[in-house]
Amino acid sequence: MKTGFSVFLAAFVALGASWFGLVYAPLEQLGGAKQTVILQTSDTWPLQRTGDATLGLQVYRAAGCAACHTEQVRQTSVANTLILTSLGGHPPGDFKEFLKSYLILPALNNYSNSILDNLEKWDGSVPVTLYAGDDAAVVSTLTEKLKVAGIKTSSGLVAGGVDIARGWGVRQSVAADYLYDEPIQLGNLRAGPDLMLAGVRSPDVNTQLLHLYAPRAVLKSSTMPPFRFLFETRKAGSTPSPDALVLPKEFAPGPDLEVVPTADARHLAAYLVSLKASVPLYEAPFTPVTAAK
Amino acid sequence: MMSDENKSCCSANAGNAGPAATKPLIVLIVVTLGLLFFGGLYLDSHGGWFSPKVYAPYTSVDRLEAFQPKSGAEAVAARGRKYYETVCGICHGADGLGKPGQAPPLAGSEWVTSKGMNRLAHIPLAGVAGTITVEGKDWNLNMAAMGAALSDADLAAVLTYLRTSWGNKAGEVTPEDVKKVRDEIGGHIQPATADQLKAMPE
Repeated sequence: MKTGFSVFLAAFVALGASWFGLVYAPLEQLGGAKQTVILQTSDTWPLQRTGDATLGLQVYRAAGCAACHTEQVRQTSVANTLILTSLGGHPPGDFKEFLKSYLILPALNNYSNSILDNLEKWDGSVPVTLYAGDDAAVVSTLTEKLKVAGIKTSSGLVAGGVDIARGWGVRQSVAADYLYDEPIQLGNLRAGPDLMLAGVRSPDVNTQLLHLYAPRAVLKSSTMPPFRFLFETRKAGSTPSPDALVLPKEFAPGPDLEVVPTADARHLAAYLVSLKASVPLYEAPFTPVTAAK
Repeated sequence: MMSDENKSCCSANAGNAGPAATKPLIVLIVVTLGLLFFGGLYLDSHGGWFSPKVYAPYTSVDRLEAFQPKSGAEAVAARGRKYYETVCGICHGADGLGKPGQAPPLAGSEWVTSKGMNRLAHIPLAGVAGTITVEGKDWNLNMAAMGAALSDADLAAVLTYLRTSWGNKAGEVTPEDVKKVRDEIGGHIQPATADQLKAMPE
């Protein structure tokens, strides 16, 4: 074969380039990931999962949960936001004039149009967003000036995007969130909701178990198939199991029968409860809602 | 071999069409280089230089840094910088080096890095008139009371920023300090001369 070497070279370059781009470069970029610190605290993130939850990830994988659920929250915007929460007894018209008198300040000058646009069609009801943008100085200056007049505002760094609007996350998912996941169950189809905050939405293990056995007992419109093979239905007898699910009548298997979660079900529920990517990190800053007054 | 085929193809073309056949090639090269150039610019401004900490919608480490919640001294410096750049920096320069014929430098200036802040606070609150010597050079320009409209906290942040930036290492200025000087000046805002400033306590 006369062109053997050329063919080899071409194949080598083609495969080498994709290896470089898809394997080597990401490894260089994220391979050294370590635990990081939650913003403005000394707590570390993420925490190693409990033993049950670590096993639960393997059940999650085996049951194919990732076929319909994702574990990745997208974010498309970020803004320093100032929301007017109380007028402090001033009429809305007066408030607008009062606000205008401050918009000539050097820190606010450039944003006066955008702030007034936010109040263009305002009917005087609160809360209303006064400012949402890049500049933190606008928020701090306005907060201070309005506070003097007894007008209450709440401010913070807010992440935005369709996933966040649906309540699936409070910020985007970043590499640090998956540090202890092996394998990482990103998922690519959303027949069900994203689970990055599953443990925040329903932190109760029993609710998670009930949802696994009979999804419609928790959410009427659920399209999730019941995972009954993770449970054991058996005769209650004279000493019923303390672990037996408390089922609504229509989902109960029958008289004298009880539904007991297997070890797999308990592990999976523990894993779901451990999904709590709700803390601000350096790479994904935001103001936690619990801090609001 | 490949090179032989290339040669035969190109010589055949050259024989037929001559220079006309090379023209699209030049256009192609220019367009490719142009696309590479603008692609490079885009990557530079949006790629975050492959930092593992930068995710969309943040486009660079600087932008991510700007969104970090500030606390304590950092917050004061950030606030001071903001006002400095919109009020003072126009004449004194964002780098604090001053501008010939407009304003003397603040970086390394003995007026800025003085032990106390009394004289320094007088300058933005009352203004300066006449000749003033800064770093061994005479400046004969008038400055209005540019800082009189700022609140105590804002002006304190600006002065703190001056005293801790560009290699300056002087103490912080508190809003109470500024209030004291402002009360001293009261309603009679008169630009001070360098001699008058020097007569004041430091």
